[in-house]
Amino acid sequence: MSESERLCVAILTFFLLCPSAAAQKITKPAMQKIDGTITWVYDYEKGQRISKETGKPMFVVFRCER
Amino acid sequence: MNGVNLDQFQFEYDLTWMAIFQNAAGQNYARYGGREDDDAESHLSKDSLLRVMKQVLELHQSGGVQADSKYEPLATEVTTPSAIPTLKTMMEKRKDSTCIHCHDIKNSRFRHLHNTNELKKSMVFTYPSPSLIGLHVDRDQQDLTASVDRDSPAWKAGVREGDLLQSSDGQRILTFADFTRVLELAPSEGALTLTVKRDRTKKTVTVKLPPNWKKSSDPSWRPSVGMIGPGGGFWGKSANDQQRKRFGLRPDELAIRVTFIWAQHAKDAGVKMSDIVVSVDGEKSNMTMRQFHAWLQLNRAWGDEVELAVLRKGKRITLNMTLPDGPSE
Repeated sequence: MSESERLCVAILTFFLLCPSAAAQKITKPAMQKIDGTITWVYDYEKGQRISKETGKPMFVVFRCER
Repeated sequence: MNGVNLDQFQFEYDLTWMAIFQNAAGQNYARYGGREDDDAESHLSKDSLLRVMKQVLELHQSGGVQADSKYEPLATEVTTPSAIPTLKTMMEKRKDSTCIHCHDIKNSRFRHLHNTNELKKSMVFTYPSPSLIGLHVDRDQQDLTASVDRDSPAWKAGVREGDLLQSSDGQRILTFADFTRVLELAPSEGALTLTVKRDRTKKTVTVKLPPNWKKSSDPSWRPSVGMIGPGGGFWGKSANDQQRKRFGLRPDELAIRVTFIWAQHAKDAGVKMSDIVVSVDGEKSNMTMRQFHAWLQLNRAWGDEVELAVLRKGKRITLNMTLPDGPSE
């Protein structure tokens, strides 16, 4: 793993994705590895908890799949 | 965007990708994303992302979150998309998905403003690029001024190539997106302070913002442009070189071959498949299909009459189109 890749991992990653359930009745996908390296968290409150526990900042990503 | 607190996450909702660095309390360190009109990835690169990640880690160690300000306010209320009056109706009519996209936020707000007669076409130009004041931010090092257009507002203020951006109106700038956030809230005409570092010396200049400075040349990539005015009601492709040669059209002239007609107003006007659209109300400059729609949406009002000139079976035909009264549901 390169230095830059380690840096990516070092930053807590957080990801917001549209839920499949009806609006406001949100089914939050489980944490998962998209590219085999970074574990993305799909729940903002959970991301905040992990950030607090680990002392790492969050990388909040909004991605639109159209 | 389902359930997202819009008071906390304010960004360019026309985009398809945006990132914000935060601490556990939800306070921002920096933003990352954004684009120029002509390139969706103009300011996305691995080098720039790694650079800002390193900067954020350093800021995280030193507690350097952005201060509570109009630019990065600490949200005290929770406002979710469901608070937008027109969004519920819009989502109910969508059969294939319950997903609220980023652009749905801006579009539903625009629909509400349309309904209350408060929508202005200039509102489409949100989160303006610093290139609109003549300052071009480096793609890989986004606090670096890559170039400055001569005689532009940034140039006249004294900003030059190589200047390191520090802050604007007191707001730290690490990235292109940080800068666009400041520019979003900058006045539509007036002035903006900008602090840069040159040769290890900080310098604060005042950039004069001329009228209409937020208006960019090609907003056709923005989904919200479809809410500010009527489109043509058909889809098509720019004619290729061979077709242009056949019809005697130059490369700089409008030539869109109709491939799909979906709206009643286009059918009523008599638009037919394979028509070559060569002018709209006398405008003959070459445009892509998206640019054609954006031209109408920016330059014509709901309910206006427009004149289309089309080539059909070698003959030039004039079509009169009555544009719809308002945005479709």
